[in-house]
Amino acid sequence: MTTLVESQPLSERFPRLTARVDVRELERLRTRAHRFAEQHIRPRALEIDRHTDQDPAWFDWDLVRAGAQEGLLSFLIPKPAGGAGGLATQAAIVMEELCAACPGIALIFGAHALGISPLLLGGPSQWDGVLAELVASERTDSPLLMACAITEPEAGTDVEDPDLLARARITSHARRVPGGFRLSGTKRFISNGSVARWITLLMPTDPRRPVETWTCFLIDARSEGFKVARVEHKMGQRACPAAELTLDEVFVPDERVVGREGDGAPETMIVLACSRPPVGAIATGIARGAYERLQAWLAEDPAAKGLLARQHVQLALANMEEDIHLARQAYMDAATELDHVALGGAMSHPAVRALGRIPAAIRRRAPVNGWLSSPRARDATIALLHRTTTEQAVTRSLGLSSMAKARGGDVAMRVTGTALEITGLRAGPVRAELEKLWRDAKLTQIYEGTNQLNRLEIYRTLCQKETINCLPPLHNHHDGHTQQPASANGNGAQR
Amino acid sequence: MSATISEQAEIRSMAHELARRELSLRTAAIDSGDQDAWAECWQLLTETGLDRALLDERHGGVGLGVAELLTVVEELAIGDGGIAMSVLLCNAALATLSDEQLAGLGEGARWALVPATSGTELAISNGQLDGNIACALGCHGVDGVVLLALDRSSPATWALHANTAGLKFKRDLAQLGLRGAAAASLELQDVSAPSTDCDTVIDGASASALLYAGTAAIARGIARRAHEMAFEYAQARQQGGVAIIEHDAVSDMLTAMAVRLTCRPEMLIEASGKLRLAQSLAAKIAATDAAVATTTDAVQVFGGTGYMVETGIEKLMRDAKYCQLFPQANWLLYRELTKA
Ligand SMILES: Cc1cc2nc3c(=O)[nH]c(=O)nc-3n(C[C@H](O)[C@H](O)[C@H](O)COP(=O)(O)OP(=O)(O)OC[C@H]3O[C@@H](n4cnc5c(N)ncnc54)[C@H](O)[C@@H]3O)c2cc1C
Repeated sequence: MTTLVESQPLSERFPRLTARVDVRELERLRTRAHRFAEQHIRPRALEIDRHTDQDPAWFDWDLVRAGAQEGLLSFLIPKPAGGAGGLATQAAIVMEELCAACPGIALIFGAHALGISPLLLGGPSQWDGVLAELVASERTDSPLLMACAITEPEAGTDVEDPDLLARARITSHARRVPGGFRLSGTKRFISNGSVARWITLLMPTDPRRPVETWTCFLIDARSEGFKVARVEHKMGQRACPAAELTLDEVFVPDERVVGREGDGAPETMIVLACSRPPVGAIATGIARGAYERLQAWLAEDPAAKGLLARQHVQLALANMEEDIHLARQAYMDAATELDHVALGGAMSHPAVRALGRIPAAIRRRAPVNGWLSSPRARDATIALLHRTTTEQAVTRSLGLSSMAKARGGDVAMRVTGTALEITGLRAGPVRAELEKLWRDAKLTQIYEGTNQLNRLEIYRTLCQKETINCLPPLHNHHDGHTQQPASANGNGAQR
Repeated sequence: MSATISEQAEIRSMAHELARRELSLRTAAIDSGDQDAWAECWQLLTETGLDRALLDERHGGVGLGVAELLTVVEELAIGDGGIAMSVLLCNAALATLSDEQLAGLGEGARWALVPATSGTELAISNGQLDGNIACALGCHGVDGVVLLALDRSSPATWALHANTAGLKFKRDLAQLGLRGAAAASLELQDVSAPSTDCDTVIDGASASALLYAGTAAIARGIARRAHEMAFEYAQARQQGGVAIIEHDAVSDMLTAMAVRLTCRPEMLIEASGKLRLAQSLAAKIAATDAAVATTTDAVQVFGGTGYMVETGIEKLMRDAKYCQLFPQANWLLYRELTKA
């Protein structure tokens, strides 16, 4: 089956790419993702959808293993940690390809990438921990998956924006104890939640002051007190399980605080700025998948005879082409802005590059590793962010990301809905594929912040030019807290 | 003979009660393919005579007029859109049968009207019918079907018992919406079928008008249910420190749903009690497009919860989409409407 973008090189489509990125590498990544989608995803999409309709907890590890062989679990992990060093642009390109085949299966890799994102913000201090473990697992028969848990039963939209977080009904709590924290609470609708080995999870250390104490923790799913309470029966994107997770006094040591205590709110905003362009790409991929299937049906199926001669159909196809093109422009614009303007400076900073050149074996030895995992190193990462970007730049990036996400979601719904209308109920096998894509599409208007929330974000960031607090502060008011018990325990700074 | 105003109100409230008390309890089970739940509902409908409501008492019906039937199916759709569609299709099919044919039917026989396009789906020559009709709603397990050639200037109908030689049914397992009207694909090979054109409650033209207007009524019922559920949820769910109905983003969606509901299919009925094809087509297009928009927004009002099957709101979205596509997608009806 032909794809829309294959014919035109990325460098022509998106001139900004040529400036700083190795476009050939992107092109190779896209080809690999496309091949994987055609070989492994498309043929199994309907079957897995049916399986997971009967049993929502059912999960296809073979697909994950196949994806791991293609590097789909590590392409976002920095090169010094053994990954391919991709950013939002790479994630988006891969997502469009996979989603044109099946967004549910693609979401397994997308949710994994979301789980990784907060660790990327941790900078070099995260390279030699779980990120390296993920890379190593990719080469084994038991690859490890990640998830990211933000949403709570009483707070969905409210945890997607710092202003709303201030009024949110947060019921989770990370209580400080010697050497770390004890986490309790419930997280809801967590993609990959029931299959992830590691979960980046956000929670306040003081529920009365959620904004100031919102903190990202790295949770081992084998921890005592951690439970998958249920796996949801979803309308679509079923191949990737969405789970409710309960934590009952789960212990998390200080070194598994990602970034610094209390930096969770701005970190979340950066994570969302990074993850929304790929969600726009997920939606674009869904729309493209429907468009391609419709085109093939119109060209090949005897039941479609004569339809292409109807102007109604021609206009509908033209609208789809237009919609998909603009949705793709929107997510590429957002992704490249983020990678090359908002965060580009930090990622390619000479200090980061120099650290990356130190062989991993040396980096993992006591003195270097001790410094990298110390609070001072965390502060240095934040200081680097402040030197290389501004809140205005990240805010603008967030606005563009919200635009890509909201526009993409609407396009996915429109294109899949129209494709179904053109084929109708009598269309034969393609009907089931289009119906599935239509169900899958609805989620793109909901997750990663509803489209309403994203449009309010566009209003604030782009229409009103408001600056959102999306960089962790240079001086963190919890500094004293994080260091004290760690050193008392012989961890952290003294190690 | 049509029902008096008080009888109409009674029938409407009976359908309303049935939908709320019985159908809505079983709608999730029916959606997941539970045959027993479906059979229990159908049993209740046959006991009240709603499956053959257009027929008179001699044939086990209640002598409803078309307008009342539309209200009945709209009310039933609040409980389950698929069951309401089965009722519509059964009524429309039976109403095209002659007295003689009706007399020969067993008690509680379930029939379905099957709209088809001649040429592509149904070929008619020398009194023989051939063709393939995919995804014929409500046809799985029926005792008989009435084929309706939609695209003829005076649509013809052919009544076929399920065991007619040359007629085969195959369950459509990929059905996404209106699962209470379980679909089958029909294969016809050299089926001989006389046209039913005399002494019937309605003729082919009226049957197609009824099909469109009835689908509009069902879509409206589905949209009413979606609006009700979304409205209730928006008052209970809090985000941003207030009930979400306080946010314009949510209340605008709810208001738009209410606005769309002002189009009422039964208003199409002429004083004579007859349905006109053009109005029925227009109503079908307007009401089903409205239902798709309303149910999609209703899921949105529920946020992530709306995407979960157990909430029951995403099912309304699937049901509404099927109304939009059945018997033909709305855009294909534009041409019919222009002609009409
Ligand atoms: C299948 C699935 C997978 C998911 N995966 C993940 C995951 O991996 N990790 C994770 O953390 N979360 C995940 N989520 C959660 C997702 O991000 C939330 O569902 C989403 O943010 C919406 O929150 P909510 O569901 O609580 O809806 P609510 O916040 O309750 O919203 C309900 C309605 O109210 C509107 N609304 C709410 N607040 C406002 C406001 N202030 N102004 C205007 N309108 C408002 C919304 O737009 C929506 O229409 C997932 C959700 C789903 C359905």
